This record gives sequence, C-alpha cells and structure tokens, in this order.
Amino acid sequence: MSWEVAKRAVDYILGNREDFSESSVKFDFIGGEPLLEIELIDKICDYLKTEMYRLEHPWFNSYRISLTTNGINYATPKVQNFINKNKNNLSIGITIDGTAQKHNMNRIYKDSGKGSYDDVVKNIPLWLEQFPGETTKVTISHEDLPYVAESVLHLYSLGIHNIPINCVNEDVWKDGDDKIFEQQLMLLADEIISKELYEDFTCSFFDDWIGKPLPESELQNWCGAGKMLAVDAAGYFYPCLRFAQYSLRDKEAWIIGNVYDGIDKNKLRPFLTLDRCTESPKECMDCDVARGCAWCQGENYDAADTHTVFQRATATCKMHKARVRANNYYWNKLFRKLELEGNREEFEKQASKRSEVSC
Amino acid sequence: MLKTKIYLQYLIILLDDTSVAFCHADNPLKEPSLIPLETLRKAILFGMKNNLMIQYVYPDYELPNEYNELIESIDHIKIGRELKIYNQVPNEVQCENFVLRLAISEFISHKNEIEGLLEKVTRLNICFTDIESFKDDQIEEYKQALGVLNDEIVRLHGLKKDPQVNILTDRLVLSEMHNCNAGIGNITIAPNGKLYLCPAFYYDERMGVSNQMNFRTKESNWSIAGLDYALENGFEIPNKHLLTLDKAPLCRECDAFHCNRCIWLNRKLTWDNNTPSHQQCVVSHIERNASRELQQKLKSIGEDFETEITEINYLDPFDVRKEY
Repeated sequence: MSWEVAKRAVDYILGNREDFSESSVKFDFIGGEPLLEIELIDKICDYLKTEMYRLEHPWFNSYRISLTTNGINYATPKVQNFINKNKNNLSIGITIDGTAQKHNMNRIYKDSGKGSYDDVVKNIPLWLEQFPGETTKVTISHEDLPYVAESVLHLYSLGIHNIPINCVNEDVWKDGDDKIFEQQLMLLADEIISKELYEDFTCSFFDDWIGKPLPESELQNWCGAGKMLAVDAAGYFYPCLRFAQYSLRDKEAWIIGNVYDGIDKNKLRPFLTLDRCTESPKECMDCDVARGCAWCQGENYDAADTHTVFQRATATCKMHKARVRANNYYWNKLFRKLELEGNREEFEKQASKRSEVSC
Repeated sequence: MLKTKIYLQYLIILLDDTSVAFCHADNPLKEPSLIPLETLRKAILFGMKNNLMIQYVYPDYELPNEYNELIESIDHIKIGRELKIYNQVPNEVQCENFVLRLAISEFISHKNEIEGLLEKVTRLNICFTDIESFKDDQIEEYKQALGVLNDEIVRLHGLKKDPQVNILTDRLVLSEMHNCNAGIGNITIAPNGKLYLCPAFYYDERMGVSNQMNFRTKESNWSIAGLDYALENGFEIPNKHLLTLDKAPLCRECDAFHCNRCIWLNRKLTWDNNTPSHQQCVVSHIERNASRELQQKLKSIGEDFETEITEINYLDPFDVRKEY
C-alpha cells in the first residue's frame, strides 16, 4: 500500500462520521505479513492519532491498533520501537500454529521451503512478556488433524493460555476426518482434565455454550462481514478481505468502493440484511446442535452456486458435530470431576475469567 | 408469507433480438435477428407442456407469414402489438391499455401531458428506465408529479371514470406483494434457444456483461438451460428459493405491494438477486405514499377501502430494518 492510498483511507474513514458511527474502533493491520511494512504502519498510526486529535474525533479516546503477524520480525528494533510507542492501545497476535511439525506444514519460507517455526518460537517469550494474556489463532485443515491435541498442549507449554482454534470453512475435508478430529479432541480433553489445565488454560473447541439447538428467534448472522471496512493495498474497499480477488477461488471480487469514490452502499446492502434463516438450508435451521456452528461469509460467497452471499456453505457440518460430541465429553467429564471434588460451584464462578475467543 | 402461491405460469418468448423492451431494462441490441422457426416451434411446445401462458414480444417490423401462422397456433398475448409500448409520451392514444417507458426526469417534466392521457385510457403502466440514476434530491419533484396524477384520478372518479395507473392505483387494491416474479412466475426464451430469468439477463449476456462467477474468464453466460435440454429433462434454477419473497429480508417485511421487485435491477445494483437498491426502495415508497394520499382523497369523497395504507416515516425500509 502506498502512503497516498493509506492517507486517503484514513481521511475517508475519519471524515465520514455518519457512516462510521460506532463509539470505538479497531484498526487491524493484516497481510501478507504486516511487520514487513512496519514503517508504513507506524506512519499510518501516527497520522491516525494526530488526525483523531485534530478532528476531536470521539475515537481518539477509544481506539485499538491490532496486528496479526507471523512473528519472525517481532524482535527487530523498528517493530519494538513501534510497540513501545503504541503499547497502551496495541494488540499483537503472533500466529504459531502448534508443534513445529504442524506449524511447518503450512508456514514456510517461500524461497527455501524451510519451516518458520524456529524463527517464530524464539520471539514468543518476548511477546508474552510485552502482551501477557495474548492469544494465537490456530487453524486446522485436513492434513494437520492428527496434530491437534499435541499442538494445543504445546502452545500451553509455551505460556499461551488462551487458544482460539478452528477448522477451516473451506471444503477440504475427507471421509473420516470427523472421526480423527473427534479422537484428537477427546485426547486433548483427557489431558486437560487429568493435568487440571482447565484452571488456567482454555481452548475454544471446548465451550459449554455450544452444541444446543438455536431458537428461531436467534437470527443474527455469524460473521461480521459488511459491518467492518477492509481496505486493500490498491485502496479498494471490501466487506471483508475474504472478498478480495486474491482470497477467492473463482468468483469476482466483491468490491464495495474505493478510497477515491467512497463506499457504494448498495453493494453493502446484502450483507447488512443477512440473517441466519435466509442463508441457511432447512437442515441447518432444524439442527439440534446448531449453536456454535460457524460460517464464513466469504466462503459462503466463494462456494455458492450463484453470485450471492445468501447461500451458506456447509462443508464443516460433520466437523462441527464431531466437535460437539467431544465438547460434550469434555464438559461431562470435567463437571463430574469437579462435582466429586466439591469444586464445581467455584469453578463456574471463575468461568467468566476464562476468556474464549472464537472466529 | 404470501397467501397466493407463486408458480410458473407465463412464458415470455422474444421473437427477435430487437424485440421491444417492456420493463425497466432497455434493449441494447440493434441488429434484427429473428428467432429460428424451429426454435419458436420448440418454445411453443415447451409452453404447452408446462401449461404456460405465452407472451410473445415483437420487434417493430412485420414477421414472415410462417411465423404468424405458428404464433397463432396457441393462446397468447402480443407484447408490442396488442399491448403497445411507448418510449415517450404519445400525442395520440391508440389503445386504452399501454406501457409508457420513461426516465423519471421525463415523467416529472411531462407530468401534465401524462395527466392529460388519463381520461383516454383504462390502464396506464408506467415503467421507469433509469431507476438506478434516481437521486434523493429528486424525491420532492417526483412526489409532486405523482400528486398531479392523483388529482386527475380523483377528478375523473367524480365523472365515473376510473383509469388504472400501476404506480398509484394498484396499491389501493393489493393486500400482498404483486411483483414481476421473474424466474418463479415467468421464464423467458430468447432467440438463441436458451432460457433466462428475464429478457434483461439475455441482453446482459449478449452485451458481454460478466456474471461475476469466474474472474479469470469473465464469463457472461446468464442462461439457465438450453431449450432442447429443458424439453427433455425440465430445468433447474440454481438458488431458485432466493428469488422468492420469503428469502428477501427487506422485501418480505415491506408493504409497497405494487413494487416490481425487479431482480435484474437488484442484481445490477446490489449484486444479489434478493436485495433491492436504495433507489428502488425509495421510488417504490414515494409511490406507495402517493397511493396513500390518493386513498385519503378518495375516502374524503365517500369511497371505502378494505384496508388503509398506513402512514410511515421512512422511504427506504433498509433504514428501519431488523438488526440482530
């Protein structure tokens, strides 16, 4: 992204308060790898702050800067200077995908094909020292299913207490994957319970909220696409970067405007009228374990039979059901243990302190 | 939920590439290209087998005799012949029921001439060709123009004449949505022997408008099926349910019952078949409110209505949509 495009994006967003009327804002820098452009990000953030101050924008007192990085450049002086400058309003997530084996299956250097795990893990202690309580986002696909349990436990051992983790929404799943997934989660459940890791560690796969039916009155869309503004390097606007051309398989990008012309609100209307019942097939509406079943609007669009965001992709159905079974196992086992120990009430009181982040 | 079940009842057959445009979409095709006789024969057979009322859409030239004979072999309506289409305000009216296609600005500037037509017609169908260009600063002007026609309708009612004007009087008698229903109530066969949701999608295909399904090829295939295939096997419309009212979150809550709910305009302006644009909603609601004013005026001179069109404080239902 050029500085000119970045500045125009900031000017547009800050100059159109009617269209951006939320009381708080999160400026999220993602890539590619955002830390490769730390100087630009630094310049953008400085401009954001000075402009919010100059305009007496309400966001000046309620903003957050967020980055998700592969972590390789985390300890460099420029990145550290940026962190020190913005510490009070900054969140940085490092993506470390589990064990070295799992991480290196997908996160490799382009030129050499070498895995990046070693270069990432060495920065984890500094990261956790500077951002205690931060999380990493773990993604599961077909190939890394056998490594789910050990990867979560490994991340715990690195000092990461909260693990948001999910299966990809794309149709990559093969017959039998749900069984492997369920076994892995039950293995993980047994380890967490036997070692009493539940006191201080969480994993988003286990949540006592999921796996129930959803009442017909609960119609909100799962995904926030359309309620955020995504800007690409060329200055095009999207409801989410999953609708950018480089994120899509075949469909044309869903561009909703640009930094020169602003937002075409008509192109946003489908997103802002989405509801669960319109986009979900009957099977999903009738599902007994619907709660917690996630979808990605971009994948819905990408996989749809026509040009629409109103067709829900259901490739993860079996994986969700496997998760629900393992989740039920976990909570039944855990609650029984706590009951027998006389600790259940206390545990549930403390439950609000256990943060869980899900996609 | 509609009380009336919508099902496929009508077949639109474009007899030529230059067949008259009769709805919101202009026909951009300039070179005459008559539907092959054999294709026309198959199209009629398709209509008969599926029990569809055929609506032929004519070009502005005389057809060869063999076509006329084939056309007369089945019950039908002739759009562009029996049902006249005017693309400007006519000086003289040659029939009592016709379609007037205009830009909204033309409607506004010719409102007095259009007012003058009302005592000569039984029904006037007004169809705007430039809704996508409608701006909010035209709202008052459009409202006033509709008011002129309202006053004339009331005056003629006093003379025991009741011309119908689709954008004003239809709403008085409708108790639920009455839309175009392209793809679910009607289907189109084009001169190339393929089925389309409506003629506008055929025009888009011919003009190379991308269907946005493949960014590499920019394919512009908008057809649903070939006629030969459909005759043998029937046809499926992908995501057909998204053409229905109950899968249109904004429209299913709306009471601008006269609205066309044009899926071509929806697709063009919002990129989704089931979501109307701001302009479409505003225009329909200005008309809906004008119908309400007409209803109030007719009530004041003694007319009764089964239901009252309520007062609302919005023109775009998007602004008052349910948020979850």
